[in-house]
Amino acid sequence: MNLHPQLDPTLAPPFPQAALPMLRNPQLRKNVAHATDVIQAKRAKLVAEKTDWQQLRSGASALRAHALENLGFYLEQFETRCTAAGGHVHWASDAAEARQIILDLLRQENATEVIKIKTMTSAEIQLNPFLESAGINVFETDLAELIIQLGEDEPSHIVVPALHVNRSQVREIFARRMGLANLSDDPQILTTAARTHLRHKFLSIPTAISGANFLIAETGSVAVVESEGNGRMCLTLPRTMITLAGIEKVLPRFQDLEVMLQVLARSATGERMNPYTSLWTGVASGVTPGDGPQHFHVVLLDNQRSSILARPTERQTLKCIRCAACINTCPVYRQTGGHAYGSVYPGPIGAILTPQLMQMHHAQSLPYASSLCGACYEVCPVKINIPEVLIDLRAKVTDQEREQPARFFDLMYIGMKMANFIFARPARFHAAQRLARIGLRLFTRRDGWIHSLPSLGAKWTQTRDLCGLPTQTFREWYAGQSKTEAK
Amino acid sequence: MTQPPNSRDRILERIRTATQPALPTPAAVEESYAAIPRAYIRRGQLTPQSRIALLIERLREYEAEVVESTPDALPAAIATLLALSGKQRFVTPPGLPAQWLTPGFTWQIDNGLTHAEIENAEGVLTAAFCAIADSGTIVLHHGPTEGRRVLTLLPDWHLCILRASHVVETLPEYFSRCPQPPSLVTWISGPSATADIEMTRIKGVHGPRFLNIILVHDESVHGEAEATLPEE
Repeated sequence: MNLHPQLDPTLAPPFPQAALPMLRNPQLRKNVAHATDVIQAKRAKLVAEKTDWQQLRSGASALRAHALENLGFYLEQFETRCTAAGGHVHWASDAAEARQIILDLLRQENATEVIKIKTMTSAEIQLNPFLESAGINVFETDLAELIIQLGEDEPSHIVVPALHVNRSQVREIFARRMGLANLSDDPQILTTAARTHLRHKFLSIPTAISGANFLIAETGSVAVVESEGNGRMCLTLPRTMITLAGIEKVLPRFQDLEVMLQVLARSATGERMNPYTSLWTGVASGVTPGDGPQHFHVVLLDNQRSSILARPTERQTLKCIRCAACINTCPVYRQTGGHAYGSVYPGPIGAILTPQLMQMHHAQSLPYASSLCGACYEVCPVKINIPEVLIDLRAKVTDQEREQPARFFDLMYIGMKMANFIFARPARFHAAQRLARIGLRLFTRRDGWIHSLPSLGAKWTQTRDLCGLPTQTFREWYAGQSKTEAK
Repeated sequence: MTQPPNSRDRILERIRTATQPALPTPAAVEESYAAIPRAYIRRGQLTPQSRIALLIERLREYEAEVVESTPDALPAAIATLLALSGKQRFVTPPGLPAQWLTPGFTWQIDNGLTHAEIENAEGVLTAAFCAIADSGTIVLHHGPTEGRRVLTLLPDWHLCILRASHVVETLPEYFSRCPQPPSLVTWISGPSATADIEMTRIKGVHGPRFLNIILVHDESVHGEAEATLPEE
């Protein structure tokens, strides 16, 4: 089961190459198909019962767009209000700076151990290996993240990171790493094992790290959406809380959650509402003193988000609320699973987000990891037009390739140049058609079909047959008809 | 502060270059905010009776236990549920009416209990700020009758007293009736759960594995058209 996927976009192989071993792994494909089928069916049922679903989508989309249009205003407001409530706000330009800020904060606390709520942003900045190498033990507390951590695996989904692993594989990992030889593969028993494994850590480790689903500018509050209660444990018991959040996570007001909470759980897990949503404000302890951490830090991460913001078509990428509905519905993801994307953000949203986070220097194959069917756009609760962004990014990749000298040896490039030449004049096109008819006759079998072609053409005929060219083109036929009529 | 002093300014500068106008006035932001379309359903359409019925149905779908009671019969209903639970040691927030703490059980009132003491309790009794029928959500604002967050987190069994007059139908109704944004909120929709293993929903991970609700029918005789929420 040890796939050891490489989720660093600077090192990962191109998508078609990375996808091959996944496509040849029937167990993985079965696990991914099962999980995505279940979530999609639940989501479809609960979306159908909302008669105002499209109005909710429009509201959520406009709200996120508005927050991004006024991002500077709202971030400063968030900073002011959070600070007034006793929180500390830190700003990190890139992954390295964010990692260092968090490590420095942990060192100030003399922390040797830290408990974590699932945060994909921390995976984006590769926080865990960095902290481990600095001598800090990191304990993931979300069940799926625990499975990934103990299995020395990587997440393959942003909401259900261990979706590629089945119960017997979880049993094997827990039995080995928790020393429970007689563990059964009943999910209830496995879940109880995780509860027991983590209980003491929650009660004894004084420092925690979380992500954020939403930052509320109006109040300086942070909201975290979860199911298991591990989030509540980390937000409530430790002395110090460090929240890592992308700068795009901000919402103008508390009341805006009335839209976001309605669309998020339905889209993410197919529930009317997730079991637990927590909102807190700095170290404000409400009515009762001593409720929650005494030290609270927010690290606001840019890491190329501000450059995505600057591009009109791509800006909508930042509206994302990480529900993963696009991932579950994507026909490409459903075949390959998440590891093929070579990024912690897989699926359609990963295909547009990852190359942009990499400033288009890496992950250029990802915008092509899509059939452009548009299913992702249809399910997106904040209406990100993912196909539109994919096409725009493909254009950017093509522009890059045009700059490379190696293009003169690329068959696709030469073919496209030739096509450009041929399509420019009707006479050339006509001549090319006649040439093709003669040339393809060599490959056309007696049944009128072409079963195999050499070189680039093989990409088509590997999996399908091509109908042989007819003896006459439409234009030739039409020309003949008009002559007959003229007589 | 640990970060180099210029990161904040650099990021804000990059954002301002990306978005125009670079420095919108609060009034302009306000105007643009007001233009956000909100054509979704805000007000519920159900009668008070069907609103309560919907809440109970939703809570039971989440595998929470729900019983109904009246203000007069509440202490007896609490005693019955506690006895049925087979548990003995309970914690409560300091603001609950004394008659809720029915005799025959060990009650520890949270006037600064340690985490270990709370962990050691078998159950917790609290009130709720309100509930939202459409999503089956119990809302805690962690006031004196709802307790600190840790109080409803560590004990494995939670009994929550909910007044029918505090039940709203839709999420927007709840938000429009919060006079001030609260600084601490926990929205609870059923007991702790996970579906991380093969998408099989398993009840009970780290939070309370058992959520029990007593719904107290405190509506006026003729039925109120609108739920009234407590002032904070």
